[in-house]
Amino acid sequence: MAETENGNDKANKGRTGFLPIHTNAFDRVFIGTVIFVALHLLWMRFLEAHIPLYVATLLSLLIGAVIVARG
Amino acid sequence: MRSNTIGWLLLAPTLLILTVFGVVPFVYVLVVGFADWNAFAADPTPHFTGVENYRRLVFDDQFLSALWKTLGFGFFAVASEVVLGYFLAQLLMKDVPFKGFFRTIHTLPLMVAPIAVGATWRLLTVPGLGPLPYYLERWFGIEFRLGTYADQAFVTTIIMDVWHWTPLVTLTLLAGLATMPKEPFEQAQIDGANKLQIFWHITLPMLKPTILATVFIRLMDALRTVDEVWMLTGGGPGAATRYVGLHIWRVVFPKTDYGYGAAMSLLTLYLTIVMCWLLYAALVTRRELPKAE
Amino acid sequence: MTKKKQRRGTWLSLVFWTVASFVTLFPIYWMFVVSAKSRVELFGRPNFIIRSFFTENYTNTLADPSFQRYLINSIIVASCNALLVTTLALFATYALSRYKLVGKENIFFWTITNRMAPPAVFLLPLFLLFTQAFTIGDWKLYDTRTGLILLYCVFNLPFAIWTLRSVIDGIPKELDEAAMIDGANTWQILTKVILPLARPGLAVTAILTWVFAWNEYLFAATLTSVHARTITTGLAEFVTVTGTNWGQMAATATLTLLPALLFLGLVQRHIVAGLTFGAVKE
Repeated sequence: MAETENGNDKANKGRTGFLPIHTNAFDRVFIGTVIFVALHLLWMRFLEAHIPLYVATLLSLLIGAVIVARG
Repeated sequence: MRSNTIGWLLLAPTLLILTVFGVVPFVYVLVVGFADWNAFAADPTPHFTGVENYRRLVFDDQFLSALWKTLGFGFFAVASEVVLGYFLAQLLMKDVPFKGFFRTIHTLPLMVAPIAVGATWRLLTVPGLGPLPYYLERWFGIEFRLGTYADQAFVTTIIMDVWHWTPLVTLTLLAGLATMPKEPFEQAQIDGANKLQIFWHITLPMLKPTILATVFIRLMDALRTVDEVWMLTGGGPGAATRYVGLHIWRVVFPKTDYGYGAAMSLLTLYLTIVMCWLLYAALVTRRELPKAE
Repeated sequence: MTKKKQRRGTWLSLVFWTVASFVTLFPIYWMFVVSAKSRVELFGRPNFIIRSFFTENYTNTLADPSFQRYLINSIIVASCNALLVTTLALFATYALSRYKLVGKENIFFWTITNRMAPPAVFLLPLFLLFTQAFTIGDWKLYDTRTGLILLYCVFNLPFAIWTLRSVIDGIPKELDEAAMIDGANTWQILTKVILPLARPGLAVTAILTWVFAWNEYLFAATLTSVHARTITTGLAEFVTVTGTNWGQMAATATLTLLPALLFLGLVQRHIVAGLTFGAVKE
């Protein structure tokens, strides 16, 4: 959960990618998951009437992959 | 060298209990959240329904308004506590007589059961008994009825939370202030900085880790407040103070709509984690500071 | 700064703190006043002075058989939980402090997340698990004191581990290494070396976990129905069931609050560090 980054910093090597903060692997997976969930929820509320939810899944997986790889 | 097996054995009961009562419920709620499961429906067994529960949830106005109210409550309560707590901590930094005595009194609310806090505030605010409605009406002509006016109920829950938890903020900030080195302040005074400048450029940055930890812990607690509010207003009038924990507990539970309730619980947990993480990230990285803890 | 100005600052602080203390104490005092008055006396203009102590609120409460059961349940649950938590936390902290266990920092942080999680979120799964999964034959964990005792570990164990961490870390490793050379086994080291030295820290931990278990309401209200109800649920029943007998409600609330008052002096130095997971030390 959220607090874990603190402790992990010593164990994992952190780095600074395009995200504004210094992150390690755990942080990036965490951010990816958060965005994945948020996008789906917002999509269901505002966009699903027009565009199917699979687009959201694809899109968020893509964003997640970019964040994990480059963040 | 010691054998690590014994170490793990000593740790095992703790890990076992935390897993059975902490992780298992979490996994369970995760699974149930994707199921249609109503104990009193025609078919009382769980079925996998994908994201159906969440689709319902994002259009559930009652739930969304409970969320917004919780966020408002948390924001106002924690903000007032930090401001008031800082003020009181600064005052206690001076050589006040009876310092220890004041501190003891202020630790008291921290130990009181939340449900008893709710009870005391109910006794204070109940019309016809409590001094608060009586004197507000007598001196200011304000009709104070928690059961009638939504705004009053909302504000009173915040004031109650401030009463309950400001001492924690005061004492943590006091600890932070007491450990600060004196030299930067003396130097700034020699350089002719005014009080506001000293506060903004020296006190605040140095106190930041403490403030951060306090806000973080307080926000987590404020967002999950149930007992006090339940005792004081019962979530009313209407749904004015039905914060999200109360909503899950009082509205979802009696309906035995387990799948939907699980989805609601999960979304609440998700939002709590995201909020705290955002706060953490925003406060830690805004300026270049050495690591928070 | 001149001396005069400084003295004025002190006076200002004194005034503010007196006011703040008054505000802090007033609701509790008022509750006590209500508990010491008869229904007739409470009517009309609020009166803050207790002229004659009306004991009936207390005697009625204490004579009520269901209240007696609540009280006994609360005492049993809180005491067993405090004992269990302190023992397990001592073992766990000792293990985390003295052994090179893989990922122990992560274990530390994982324990915190258990405490930080909103209880309302876990009510539903726990209710389902307690009524349907954690059963042996006809026996359910639901509505048992055992259930509450074990469940309270979830938020009390992390607290205890974080409180004891600095205590155990503060005991020099050389002491238990010397004992080991003398041929003591781990159990002997724990009971003969660590326990006597950690006793003050353990006492504080036990008291605070006791108070937290005593204070807990939400789980107790949801996961019990008749047999294992605790005093906090009894207090809440005044709102839902009777609602008008304020004197007796105040008496119950005062009794609920009593342990906090009694223990306050003993643990007040430690509660802040405990509540902030050692992020703030006094």
